[in-house]
Order: sequence, then structure tokens, then C-alpha cells
Amino acid sequence: MNEFKSVDEILDFAIEAEQDAVEFYTKLADTATNPQMKAVFEEFAQEEMAHKARLLRIKETGLLESSREVVMDMKVADYIAHVHISPDMTYADALVVAMKKEKAAFKLYISLSERTPDPSIKSLFLSLAQEESKHKLRFELEYDEYVLREN
Amino acid sequence: MVDQDVKYLKFKTYLNTYCPYCHQSFNIERKNDKQVFFKAKFKDQEIDLSLSPYLDVFESKTSIELAEGEKVDDLICPYCNKSLVNKEIKCAECGSDVGQIIISAASKLIPFFICLKNGCEWHGLTKADERKIKLKIPRQEMPEQDQTLRVHNHQEVPYGYTTELASLEAGRCLQCKSPKCVEGCPVNVDIPEFIKLMREDNFDGAAKKIKERNVLPAICGRVCPQESQCEAKCVLGYKDKPVAIGRLERFVADFERKMELVKVPVIKTRRNKRIAVIGSGPGGLTVAADMAMLGYSVTVFEALHELGGVLTYGIPEFRLPKSIVQFEINYLKEIGVRFELNHVIGNIITIQELLEHFDAVYIGVGAGLPAFMGIEGENLGYVFSSNEYLTRMNLMKAYRFPEYDTPMPRGNKVVVIGGGNVAMDSARTAIRTGSSEVTIIYRRSRQELPARMEEVHHAEEEGIKFRLLTNPMRYIGTDYNTVKGVECIRMELGEPDESGRRRPIPIEGSEFIIECDLAVVAIGTGPNPVIFQSTPELKRNKWGYIEVNPETNETSIPFVYAGGDIVTGSATVILAMGAGRIAANAMHKKLSKLN
Repeated sequence: MNEFKSVDEILDFAIEAEQDAVEFYTKLADTATNPQMKAVFEEFAQEEMAHKARLLRIKETGLLESSREVVMDMKVADYIAHVHISPDMTYADALVVAMKKEKAAFKLYISLSERTPDPSIKSLFLSLAQEESKHKLRFELEYDEYVLREN
Repeated sequence: MVDQDVKYLKFKTYLNTYCPYCHQSFNIERKNDKQVFFKAKFKDQEIDLSLSPYLDVFESKTSIELAEGEKVDDLICPYCNKSLVNKEIKCAECGSDVGQIIISAASKLIPFFICLKNGCEWHGLTKADERKIKLKIPRQEMPEQDQTLRVHNHQEVPYGYTTELASLEAGRCLQCKSPKCVEGCPVNVDIPEFIKLMREDNFDGAAKKIKERNVLPAICGRVCPQESQCEAKCVLGYKDKPVAIGRLERFVADFERKMELVKVPVIKTRRNKRIAVIGSGPGGLTVAADMAMLGYSVTVFEALHELGGVLTYGIPEFRLPKSIVQFEINYLKEIGVRFELNHVIGNIITIQELLEHFDAVYIGVGAGLPAFMGIEGENLGYVFSSNEYLTRMNLMKAYRFPEYDTPMPRGNKVVVIGGGNVAMDSARTAIRTGSSEVTIIYRRSRQELPARMEEVHHAEEEGIKFRLLTNPMRYIGTDYNTVKGVECIRMELGEPDESGRRRPIPIEGSEFIIECDLAVVAIGTGPNPVIFQSTPELKRNKWGYIEVNPETNETSIPFVYAGGDIVTGSATVILAMGAGRIAANAMHKKLSKLN
């Protein structure tokens, strides 16, 4: 892992990661066979773009509200096995992919925060991790609401 | 007591009357003539008074002759000498005082009122009094199989009402002027009207009344979630328990069937139009019946080798006897509906091909694709989807192996994952196979259990264990790759989110293992993809269900309609029937315009 020298550098890294996610979902949208699933992936890509815009704004204004509220973790992403990414995947599969991606990002920022001795950079990483867990929660809630539905 | 109950007393049973204070019986038998005997006060004189067994006319007097319309001043128990007059309640017809006694009917004691005016036949009460009294008649329970015996057989659990119980329960209905129950019914059965017919002892008429709106009353009376539909809206339910509408529906439908009163109606008009219905589940059967009654020629295509859809492969025998499903389907056959078995539409015939031969198509294929949690070990042996488990047990009659070819999937310790009706059905089926322990695992708390309370109650009675706020994390396998346990984690409910729901959150470090040798996953279903593979142009939502115009249930393809689980996702029998009704009406409207 390369060392981060400044706050800007870290934000650039995070912005790039969001951009990667946008591209990932756009690609899935292009390959999806079902028009409704195309729309779903486009929506996910939009969301990642919004995340990216948020980070850009933080970088420009230098403002980062460091609230310490704990984001609920339903751990749905933890116990579900990996799903196979394919052009004809279902919405439920897409939700699993999305929440796992957010979880991975969350883990990355947490581990980065543990490595850095600088307290201001540490708190920035923690804030980013919190952002990612919020994103994950959105997918987990959707999964909880609609996919895990007994009859 | 009210007028209709008097009728029931007149025609149904010999009636016992008691003093509400000393519980002595007023009944005496004199020269083979049954009479009810009291003391009374008349013009400051104490007289002996006896009533006809129907409690309407003061029949014989020992001292003074009472003319028609004359009133006694007081009614007295001859044993304890207490006055029986209830000052708070007046006769609704003549406004006279009434005497209150107790009658026993159908092993229940109920208050009964006698008007003190001779010859006043209406033993009714004012509306307000009637309400007060009706609230005192308890909701009648259905007799059912003993819980220790029924876990050893697959026969239906409730026996249904007896005639007496049904009449008593029908007597509880307030006959509201603007009934709320009808709004609660997805197919708007005229509930007060059919109950009124029941009170007139016209059970056959009541059954016909229901059939005007609902073609499968014997089935709906058994499996509808009435507590969240018609009965939830019952006015009686605000103060007491609502009228048991479902049980009454079941009673009249069974009465009609058992007494062989079902008549095949003559269909007067014949239309030169053909309708194809895909799927013979509750929705498909409703469309078929409605369209056949309108004179269309209807053909139903069923993928399996038996008709009935989820009614046959899903709902177990002990909750819905298959003979009843068969009977209802035979009725459709008699009104001219044709059934084609073993036809998987999408594979052997496409919807486009159907449209070449039929004027309209209804898709009622249900949501038959089992959902899994996607956790480790779900591919182990003896981990079943509820669909497979119930299909083996119900449709393939595995519980009667070796009489039938399908072996019975049987475990000593069974876990069922999920909290819906299907989970209850699976668990209750499992306990009937002789399993020593059946456990239901559900990740939320008791309040959130989506199953009907009645089913949860039945399951608990049968000894099924509930592990609530528990979620499976992985299945553990033996060396032979069969399941030997489930690792679970305890959950707690988090703070309510924006939608107000409390989400289950795992408690760190609370993992534990439940041993099992058979697991049934009942966590919902998705749309079966077969039909879409050959019809990609059929518009669907992101969940994969068909998108329809909610007013007509017509899909993106003209003259192709859809309804039930394939549109809404897993729901109930009656909602599928409601959807079928909407589609049938719209179909008829559109096809009539073509002429």
C-alpha cells in the first residue's frame, strides 16, 4: 500500500475509487440483457456519481463533517456468498454485488485508518468508511425489505 | 335474544331454559308436551304461567285467563322466587318489559329475553340492546382434531362448524347498513347478505350468494387471511372479537357440497371467442370461471400433471383437503372449461402462438421460483426449498410412500427457515412425518411473523419450536455432504428507520449451532423465468414481475393479461382471485367492443 502524503491525496484516491464504481456499473448496464436490470445498474451508477460529487465538494471546500454516529450494520453482506456476475443476473444478485462492493470499500478505509499515525488523516479515513457503510446500509435495507420476504 | 335465533330454536334443537340466579330448569314435560314453566304477577295476584316451547305464547294459566295483548307485571322464577325482569332492556316491538333467562344451545349458555306481553312474537331487542347482547355471545371456536393425535396424520385439522355453531355465530352479525367487511374482501363478497340468509336457515342460498362473487368459497373459507381482510373491518371487532366470517363461509360452502346442492348453471349466451388461461391456480380458475359464465370458450393450460396450482402442490392436505380442490375444479369442468395438463407454456407453446389461436390470454403462473439466502452450505444434501419439500409431500403424495412413488423426505431434527405461512406449512408437514424436533428460525420478532396467527397457534400446539430473532449464517455438512447443523446468530431489532420499521441486526459473538438432519428454506419466491425466455417483449419490473395496467391487468402485449403472484410477488390466494376478476372484467369489456 502506497503512503498517502496529504488529505487531498486521500480524497483523490477515494474519488477515483468512486469513479471506478461508476464505470463498473455502467459496464454492467451495457451488458445486461433485461431492460429493467439495465435501468437498475444505471441507477446504481448514478448513485456512485453522487458519492463522487460529494467527495469532490469536500475536496474543494475542505469541509468534512466528522459526525461520529454509528451507522447500523445489518451484516447481510457478510453472510451472503459471492454471486456470479453475468449479463442476466437478477435484481437480488445486483443488490448483493453492490453491498459487497461497499463493504469492501468500508474495510479498505478502516484498515487505512489503522495504519496511519496522523490523527487528522485517521479521522478522514474513518469518515470515508462511515460514508461507505451508509451506502451499504441503503442496499441492505432494500435487500431486507424485498428479497428476504416470506410468504 | 333476537328474532333470528328464535327461529333457529324453533326449528333446530330442543331448548333448555334456566334461571340466571339459581340455575334451575324451567322446562317441564307434561303429557309428552314440552312446556316452560314460570310464576308471574298479574294485577297484584301471583299466577302460574307456562309458555309454549317456542317461548312466544303464554299457553296455559291455572287461575286467570290472559287475553292476547295483555301484559303480566312481573316474571318470577318458581324455585328461587327472584324477579326475572331486566329493567334496562325493553322489547323492541312493543316496548314492554322483558324477562331474562338463560338458554342452552349448542353447549353454550346464552341470555334470552321473553316479552311480558302475551302474544308478542317478536322476542327481539332494540338495536342498542341487541348490540349489547350480541357482544356477550362469544365468537364460536371451530372444533378441531386433538393436537396430540393430529401430528400423526395428514387429515384436516379443523372439522368446521356444526349447524348449531354456525347459526349461533351468524347470530352475532350486526347486519350493518353500510358494511365495512365487504370493503375488506378483495372480491367484495356480500357478507351481511349471506349471513342474513344463514339466519333464515337458508344455507344453500347463502352458498349461492357467496358464489356470485367468489367461485372458490370452500377454499377461501379455509386459507384466506380473514383476520387482515373482512374480519379486520368487522364493527363487532372494535369491542369484541369480529364475526368469524371465514368459518361461516367455509360452513356454507361445505354444506352445499355435502348436501349435493351444487347446481351447474345454464349458460345462456355463447360467444364465438376463445380464452387461454396459463396456470390453474386460484387466479387462473377465477378467470376461467368468470369467462366461461359469460359464454366464452375457455382453455386452461397447466404445467403439472394435476390441476390447482399452489392449492395442490403448495398448501398441505391438513389445511386444505385436495378433494375440495378437485370438487371445485370439477364444477368448472361442468360449466364447460377445458383443461390441458402437462403444458409448460413458454417451452412447448409460446404466448405468441397462443395468440394465434385464442382471442385473449391470461397469465396466472404464480411465483414458483424458490429463493435462497445465498449462504454457505445451501447446496448440501437434505437442504430443501419449501417449494420442493411441499411439492414432494403434497403433489407427489410422498407421505403415502410406498403407495406413491416419491420417497418421503424425512428428518429426525428438522429446521425450517422463514416465518411465513409456507414456513408454517413446511414445519407442520415435517412434524407429521414423525420428526422428533421441528424448529422454525425467523430473523425478526413474534410481532413481525408474516404467517397467520391461527397457523402460528396451530404450529405451537403441535409442538413446533420457534427460534425468533435468529438468522442462519451457514449450513454445516457431514462427510457425506448432507446437512448436520445450521450455524445461527442471534439478532436484535435496531432503532426504527425512516420507514418506521425496526431492522434486525446481528448481535456480535452470539453465534450458535442448531443440529438438524433436514432443513427447509421458506424465505419467499421469485418469478419463474420460463415464460419470459420465449417472450422477452413482455414488460417486467426490476424484480422480474410482469408490469400490468392496474385497472385492467393488461400487460404490455395487447390481449395478454396477467395477475396474481407473477405480478405482485408472493401473496395470497384471494388476492390472486381478485386480480383474476379484474382481468376477466377487462377482457370481456375489450372483447365485446370488437363485435
